[in-house]
Amino acid sequence: MILDLLRWVGYATITYFIVMQAYLIFLAVASGLALRRTHHLQRFGRVGEMLSSRSTPPISIVIPAYNEEAGIVDSVRSMSIVKYPRFEIVIANDGSNDDTLAALIEAFHLEKVRIPYRPDLECEPVQAIYRGRAGVDITVIDKENGGRADALNAGINAARYPYVLCTDADVVLDPDCLIQSMQRVVEDRERTVGVGGNIRPLNGSRVELGHLIEASVPSQLIPRMQILEYVRTFLASRPAWSWMNALPNVSGAFGIWKKSTMVEVGGFTTGHMGEDMDLTMRIHRYHLDNRIPYRIVYEPSAVIWTEVPDTIRVLRRQRIRWHRGLMTATKDFLPMTLNPRYRQVGMVSWAGYFLFEYLAPIIEFTGWFVVPTAWLLGALSGTSLMWMLLIALGMGLLNSLLGLLLDETYGYFNSPKDTSRLVAMALIENFGLRQMTVLWRIRALIGGASVRGWGNMERRGVANLAKQS
Amino acid sequence: MPVIELAQLATLIIFSVNSLLLAALILLKVVHRARVRSHDRRRERYVELLSRHIAFENCTDPITSEMAEDPAFLDALIDVRNAVAGSELRTLRNIVRRHGVIEHQIRKLESPFPLGRRFRAAVALAEIGDETSAHVLEQHLTDREPEIRIQSARGLGRIRWTPAIDKIVQRFSVEIPWVRARFSDTLTLYGPAATWPLLAYVRINHRYESVGPALALRTLAQIDDLQAVQPIIGILNDADDLEVEIAAIEALGDLGSPEAQSHLSERLDSPSWELRAKAATALGDIGDPASIELLVRRLRDPNWWVRRNSAAALAKLDGGIEALYAMLGDEDPYAADAAAEALTDAGELLIARERTEEEPRGANVLLTHMGSGGESYQ
Repeated sequence: MILDLLRWVGYATITYFIVMQAYLIFLAVASGLALRRTHHLQRFGRVGEMLSSRSTPPISIVIPAYNEEAGIVDSVRSMSIVKYPRFEIVIANDGSNDDTLAALIEAFHLEKVRIPYRPDLECEPVQAIYRGRAGVDITVIDKENGGRADALNAGINAARYPYVLCTDADVVLDPDCLIQSMQRVVEDRERTVGVGGNIRPLNGSRVELGHLIEASVPSQLIPRMQILEYVRTFLASRPAWSWMNALPNVSGAFGIWKKSTMVEVGGFTTGHMGEDMDLTMRIHRYHLDNRIPYRIVYEPSAVIWTEVPDTIRVLRRQRIRWHRGLMTATKDFLPMTLNPRYRQVGMVSWAGYFLFEYLAPIIEFTGWFVVPTAWLLGALSGTSLMWMLLIALGMGLLNSLLGLLLDETYGYFNSPKDTSRLVAMALIENFGLRQMTVLWRIRALIGGASVRGWGNMERRGVANLAKQS
Repeated sequence: MPVIELAQLATLIIFSVNSLLLAALILLKVVHRARVRSHDRRRERYVELLSRHIAFENCTDPITSEMAEDPAFLDALIDVRNAVAGSELRTLRNIVRRHGVIEHQIRKLESPFPLGRRFRAAVALAEIGDETSAHVLEQHLTDREPEIRIQSARGLGRIRWTPAIDKIVQRFSVEIPWVRARFSDTLTLYGPAATWPLLAYVRINHRYESVGPALALRTLAQIDDLQAVQPIIGILNDADDLEVEIAAIEALGDLGSPEAQSHLSERLDSPSWELRAKAATALGDIGDPASIELLVRRLRDPNWWVRRNSAAALAKLDGGIEALYAMLGDEDPYAADAAAEALTDAGELLIARERTEEEPRGANVLLTHMGSGGESYQ
């Protein structure tokens, strides 16, 4: 009886893994088809026209900052030269303990001003507002500490334009990213309420004065593994979800939202560890519940470069925080899961998140114990176990290779060395690194002290990233 | 053991596909790099070749039909096209016609697929901007692909093909928003030649729809032809659609003609806050100080947008900044609020701070209204 149970649990675990990989491969193929069309449109000159068009809506770039002294000035400089007809930069200094505010005041010649501030979204009290005198249309909100979501809400309150780009202080924007993403707004302004961008790790790349000079893959395994993860996520699954209008998450590092929609849904949820996912799902729910036509799209050519953790300690903390965010969102949006009322969001993307993101560590972790035990007790034959594991490994590899193939066509890494490093990583990650992330996610499930608020990693500043690799 | 055999087969298939993907990745890397380098080299050669043909009328260096079909030649042609003008441009057009480049791109555009090839041909025809392609581009204004419709219109705009203006304008009523906006950009390339077709379109359609006529009015503002002012005033007085009225007010503001001032001033008393707000902005754009008194009154409007736009408009007028300073001490705190924000946006609070030391009274008014530095604005 126990042996039978072990056998079936063992088979079920491996089958689950194979089904998960099949789902990811389906997404990768669908993404390839979606990317092909977008690529044609991007390549043949629709974007430049927007620079001179009156139909291009102005946008507010909202940056929450907490102890970002190391890189905030370079980041803002990179943002201030994006190619876009009309934009402003709003920085919400979330009660930083370091010299973030002083660095900004000095670099951009800020002056304290006294202007009315309308708290459409709830947030901690604002202490002072600064405006720039040095050419860049910049506003800095100095507020009491309340976390990333709270700072974003404060920034959105101060934003003057109808669309807001919510981003981070440690990102480097590609000069074309705003225009590439806003064209999706212009092409259907009535329905488009959100646009997500393509986030790529910056580690190992050459950055000068806040601008990306050359993209490359670092030699360190930890950031390299994340590059592969980002390629799989942003090129091999999000385009498919966007095509279905079922994006479950517009990344917090780059998300353009219609300001009025954000105010309607109450902005970011303060204290939520996955505030970007929470917001995206609430916006889906709001529109689907009220039968309002809408779309949230992903634009792969809007590229944003961000620093990713380069040590196991920081990565562990980040992944625990992410998984706790997912856990909260899973609980909050459980009624949407596999609910036909929520169409593709409920039936495909959110169901996929629940089945293959939330449940994955539990099932994989169970498999680690059950499968070897079942094999040792003779409940599973060694041969069948070996073949099933090979299938699982092969499908995982297939998924990564599909992502890399898409990256080769639509991506940034030009040198053969970079590609070979990522191909090697696709194999290496299966032996230890993947398992490590499963353990961290299990740790997140167990609970304990929450990493609330910012959960910040140590910043090197975008200008110093290349030196470490 | 059928399950084992099945698993073996599946493994074999999966790893075969993996091997193929890996091979494709390597091939793509090698082939793609080689292709890009070769393309760049040929492009450079073609730019030199075309430059020689333009510089020396009797240049005997051959341009073959194979070259004319090469995408690198097309890119070189577009590079050169964007760098020459006048007689050099005429010479380049002769070269293009002599070697059948246009015909070749038209053939590509008219082929059913692949999509990328058609896009490229449409862009090439738009960039080259040769009159011999005008009829084909006109036909493709109704192409099934939105991007091809956009590029066709752009090509027609670049060669100022006036017979197509009406056709482009009429598409305002049926096109998707993205294409409509790009068509509007194209019409601005025509300049004043598009003014009357656009006005006629608005006159005929503004009673039946709002989106197309509103865009047409905004296009007229972009063209900046003062002949349009009186007809737009007529449309503003005649229209009963809010979108059209707003677009007409915006257009009059952008055109900046004092003729529109009295009509816009009337809108400041409109029951619709949208019209009041837009009229305030338009009066600021026209820039006549005679509007100051009216705009100051609107600083006490019950609607925030009207107050904000009126204050911003005042900041643009000669004498408006002084009027805003005076409003900082107004008994209506909302009016003072709007004035303070406009002064900040205009950079005036910095000046105000300097005045603090010189004229303590003025500064006190300002600081009392806005609160002290440390307190919360909420």
